[in-house]
Amino acid sequence: MSDRLVRIAAIACIAIASGCGGGGSSGSSSSGTGGAGCTSACPAVQASLAVSDVQRIVAQAVGEAQARNVHAQIAVVDRVGNVLAVFQMDGAPATVAISSGLGVQGGLDGIPQGTIPATLAAIAKALTGAYLSSAGNAFSTRTASQIIQEHFNPGEAQQPSGPLYGVQFSQLSCSDVNRNVSHGSVGPKRSPLGLAADPGGMPLYIGGALVGGIGIEADGQYGIDRDIFDTDTNVEELIAVAGSSGYAAPADIRGDRITADGRTFRYDDSESIASNPANAPAFTALPGHLVAVDGYTGAMITAGTSFGTPASGVRADAGAFAASGGWILVDASNAARFPPRGSSDGSLSVTEVTTLMTDAIAIAKRARGQIRRPLGSSAEVTISVVDLNGDILGLVRTPDAPVFGIDVAVQKARSAMFFSSPGAASLLASVPPAQYLSDLGSAAISQYPDRMRTFLSDPAALTGNIAWSARAIGNIHRPFFPDGIDGTPPGPLSTPIASWSPFNVGFQLDLSYNQFVKGVLGDTSTGCAGRLQAGAIPIAADTGILQLRNGAQIFPGSVPIYRGNKLVGAIGVSGDGVDQDDMISFLGLANAAKDLGTGIGNAPAAIRADTLTPMGTRLRYAQCPQAPFNDSTDENVCAGL
Amino acid sequence: MSARAFSLVMLIALPALAQEKPYPPEPNRDEEIVPRRAGPSEPERYFPPPVDPSQVPQPAAFLPHETLPVPDRWRIMQALGVKYPWFDPYNQNMLKGDLPVGGDPWFREHFPDLAKKMGDEWFVSLGAVSDTLVEFRRLPTPVGAQTTQRPGEYDVFGQGKQSTVAETFIFSMSLIKGDTTFRPPDYEFRFTPAINVNRSEVEEVRALRIDPREGTTRNDSHFAVQELYADMHLRNVSDRYDFDSIRVGIQPFNADFRGFLFQDQPLGVRLFGNRDNNQWQYNLAWFRRIEKDTNSGLNDLGAALRKDDLFVANLYRQDLPWPGFTSQATVIVDVNKEGDGQYYDRNGFLVRPAVIGDSRPHDYTVTYVGYSGDGHIGRWNLSATVYGAFGHDTHGEIAQRPQTIRAGFAAAELSRDFSWARLRLNALYQSADKDPFDGKATGFDAILENPQFAGAETSFWIRQGVPLVGGGGVALSGRNGILASLRSSKDEGQSNFVNPGLELLGVGGDFDVTPLVRAIGNISYLRFGDTAVLGVLRNQAPPPKEIGWDISAAVQWRPFMSQNVVLNFSAAALLPGKGLKQLYDEDQRGPQYSVLGNVVLTF
Repeated sequence: MSDRLVRIAAIACIAIASGCGGGGSSGSSSSGTGGAGCTSACPAVQASLAVSDVQRIVAQAVGEAQARNVHAQIAVVDRVGNVLAVFQMDGAPATVAISSGLGVQGGLDGIPQGTIPATLAAIAKALTGAYLSSAGNAFSTRTASQIIQEHFNPGEAQQPSGPLYGVQFSQLSCSDVNRNVSHGSVGPKRSPLGLAADPGGMPLYIGGALVGGIGIEADGQYGIDRDIFDTDTNVEELIAVAGSSGYAAPADIRGDRITADGRTFRYDDSESIASNPANAPAFTALPGHLVAVDGYTGAMITAGTSFGTPASGVRADAGAFAASGGWILVDASNAARFPPRGSSDGSLSVTEVTTLMTDAIAIAKRARGQIRRPLGSSAEVTISVVDLNGDILGLVRTPDAPVFGIDVAVQKARSAMFFSSPGAASLLASVPPAQYLSDLGSAAISQYPDRMRTFLSDPAALTGNIAWSARAIGNIHRPFFPDGIDGTPPGPLSTPIASWSPFNVGFQLDLSYNQFVKGVLGDTSTGCAGRLQAGAIPIAADTGILQLRNGAQIFPGSVPIYRGNKLVGAIGVSGDGVDQDDMISFLGLANAAKDLGTGIGNAPAAIRADTLTPMGTRLRYAQCPQAPFNDSTDENVCAGL
Repeated sequence: MSARAFSLVMLIALPALAQEKPYPPEPNRDEEIVPRRAGPSEPERYFPPPVDPSQVPQPAAFLPHETLPVPDRWRIMQALGVKYPWFDPYNQNMLKGDLPVGGDPWFREHFPDLAKKMGDEWFVSLGAVSDTLVEFRRLPTPVGAQTTQRPGEYDVFGQGKQSTVAETFIFSMSLIKGDTTFRPPDYEFRFTPAINVNRSEVEEVRALRIDPREGTTRNDSHFAVQELYADMHLRNVSDRYDFDSIRVGIQPFNADFRGFLFQDQPLGVRLFGNRDNNQWQYNLAWFRRIEKDTNSGLNDLGAALRKDDLFVANLYRQDLPWPGFTSQATVIVDVNKEGDGQYYDRNGFLVRPAVIGDSRPHDYTVTYVGYSGDGHIGRWNLSATVYGAFGHDTHGEIAQRPQTIRAGFAAAELSRDFSWARLRLNALYQSADKDPFDGKATGFDAILENPQFAGAETSFWIRQGVPLVGGGGVALSGRNGILASLRSSKDEGQSNFVNPGLELLGVGGDFDVTPLVRAIGNISYLRFGDTAVLGVLRNQAPPPKEIGWDISAAVQWRPFMSQNVVLNFSAAALLPGKGLKQLYDEDQRGPQYSVLGNVVLTF
């Protein structure tokens, strides 16, 4: 019996995949056996990429590149972002230019070839395919492109922005949640370029279990797909399709079968590959070589971890959340990285944190997943709680939540907490400007609190007088205000539409820009927000804004936590539809307030951001989804909270 | 219990078992009539009275006061001094086509040359209609995506009370050549402009216009051309004026008796006529659809014509298969080539392609083959329609690939009159799509329906457009439409053959309480055929099929016992079933309802 068959035989339950058919493992006749209703309580799916799998994937990709006479950088990662291989074909581009195609010069947009290594682009794309997907949904970098633009859908006039607007600046190379392999840590890894929206990154599956992703960089252009209504023939995507042959996502869970507000997601535009992956050349005969990428991989092939095992850094909890079916992050010694704890300033107790997270899990398990199949699956998310320092007081996830949400849940919680905190304005005024690469200029961080004060007609803005949710922050961090209405001025945190692109969004990127660039240059130090630019000589410790240490996030899914009128922390949720993320944090906190009776709860209604009506347009605080629960016909479950 | 009351009850309770009341037996004339024997009398004879020359004067050569010249044969009464005011439509009126234009004294005085040319063969008919609507309703209304009307709105569903006030003036002008009652006119030129002014109020932003800054009130107006055509009588084909005619321009057309498939005022060319004493009638036509104004539903000539062509052939036969019952066979090919880009409605919402699935533009060609029958069978009235739709869609938006269209539709209304009451039994079937991702689209959709069925605009389901909140930019069923077709807009959207289908069973009655007042009531049970597509669009477990009960009542008052002044008042509610409860927040806000008042003044 081969290694593969042993692994497949070990698959006890692939509940979510089992209803879906299609796709699946190479040469495998096995399929999931889990019954209906086996969701978050499923045993761990034991599947992973062996070295031989990685070799085959790389060889299949190279075969397609050869058939198309192009030269590619090929990266393969596992589900938690461990880079298993980076293969550089002879003649492949060494660097990429970053361009949205919108003619924008600023931020990351307009950086020409010569600076950003193409290997990093390939890794970011592979990691995006793995991170955005799960056993219930397969998303690609093309999907990412569709959900981060100024309209959703891009090209549909007057529509609000993409639901995951801003997610491209997560998993950053300075995150304290995701780590580099050089930190000696297991668990979710950083991405050198954040999440990618350039087609050519796809997830990899074995027997319906998500085992990783493949990313291709071949054309030296790192961009987005602006016209989603045409049908591209994208070489990088086709190479990724060929590479994932035998490891392709089951057809039934691909993004093109999943809807958000009736719109299906793009998965891939074409699968008309020019090669026959079954005839791919032997790995040893491939024209090129494995390359080492500092901080990510050596010039070798590594086997992937099996998600859910301690080696993956993510496993079922045996502690506080065992009864809830929660999973946690663990370190190399299998110890919980973020067990629930009270805040060091005493403003949140361990009991409060534990109860809040348990109540949030309970909501998640009842909630209708927005990005999952089969229909009627429950939401799968990561839940985090932070205190006023931005320290993580706890982090728990449901088993199949997509990995990107681990970092994002913390980003969201920290953003809500930071914007609601008294010291926000002064901290933002104190940090150095973003110094753009390639003479693209710079951006002062201090301009943003100033603009916000003008916009809100409130000189006291960002001094703790308003409770900001991630949704409300997002409202004023879009190139149009109100969001998506063409021809309107930008929100105060955004670049104006003329200089806007997903690579130049404004505050969110600018805040972490300097460290983002240093990460590209090999700096793996922790702390994203407000750091010094590359080459600057630090006068004091270059710690930046610790409260936002893995960067800010600007799409919905977090609310601040108050004790009476006093801010004490925030809860952030990420992984499923943004309305679900909102509900799990907002309703979870409301339920915990009732269960605890200790005085913590949602912000007083009078100070929530939806009391603000800048330019006559009311901000939003939270939105809970339609048909929120799978187990009832209740609607409007967040009303009156 | 009287026999009539009994059969009334039977009709309601067990319509299939209701018995025909037997006619009285034919009299046996041989038994009843006793022939008399002819008597011996003489037949009566007539003898003219004797002439008395002194009683009647001799005819004179010149009698000016006794041979009044009359302008034409239509004005004899006027010549005798019987005059009607110009605004009186009930008696002879030149404006209503009762009198030829050329003979009108005023017209002759002011336009002598024209009057001479027009002679006695040209008639003018003018009409004017004022239609005033006031409507209150509660519909599922989402809160604005980017912003809300009020603080503390944390859910998808907002407050759903809405109101609309609309005034439509329709003017029609016809110029007709033809001077007899029996012979069809030789020419007709018709122009029907309409002006609509409307105001709507809702409780949530972004429900009326896509820009939430426009608030919760919308005022709009529109000038439309509903008819503009020339009609030429080509020839008579029999002594009884069976004919062939051709009509070119913007003209009304209804594909069947009840407006199930296509009832519209498109631009086109229609050849029509009849044969065999009007027992056969036919239409051969090409139509190109005109864009509709979003908020009035009237023709919008300010926009380009739609790339949607219809090729129509139909044939009617009277008294087939029963005397008093007309059968109709129809073939309509709908060729839609709107797959070349996006079209946004006047409120800013994308309507073509519909915002579902991948929202990629697409074309389709559908052939509708149908049979309709309308009339009575003995004392039963029956109106029935069956359609099959066969075609091809270049790109199903949810399946994201070409799709074969195979869908069906059937509807029937069986009714019977009991003195002043008519009781109706309605049934309707719209085929559903079972797998939105496969290569077949099997949900039926019409071209532009305007159904006169199951209570029509007094019923909730037909009257109101209910959005599929959270499922993209489509409605469960369009306004003034019965099909659950998930179109972006009945008026402006493309047909959608991937839909949940509909099954309706209902009873209703019309009661002529007095000659002035008619009361109408309807109860219908509705359910979807298959909810797979609803599950996909909302990414939730497919809801149960049951939509619920649509209950409506209406009163129609004609104070002058004529159609010139008609007042309608109706109220309807949709009592949600299990399926609808999975889609909307029925329990917390109360049922969806619709109340409307309508005054129609016609000249």
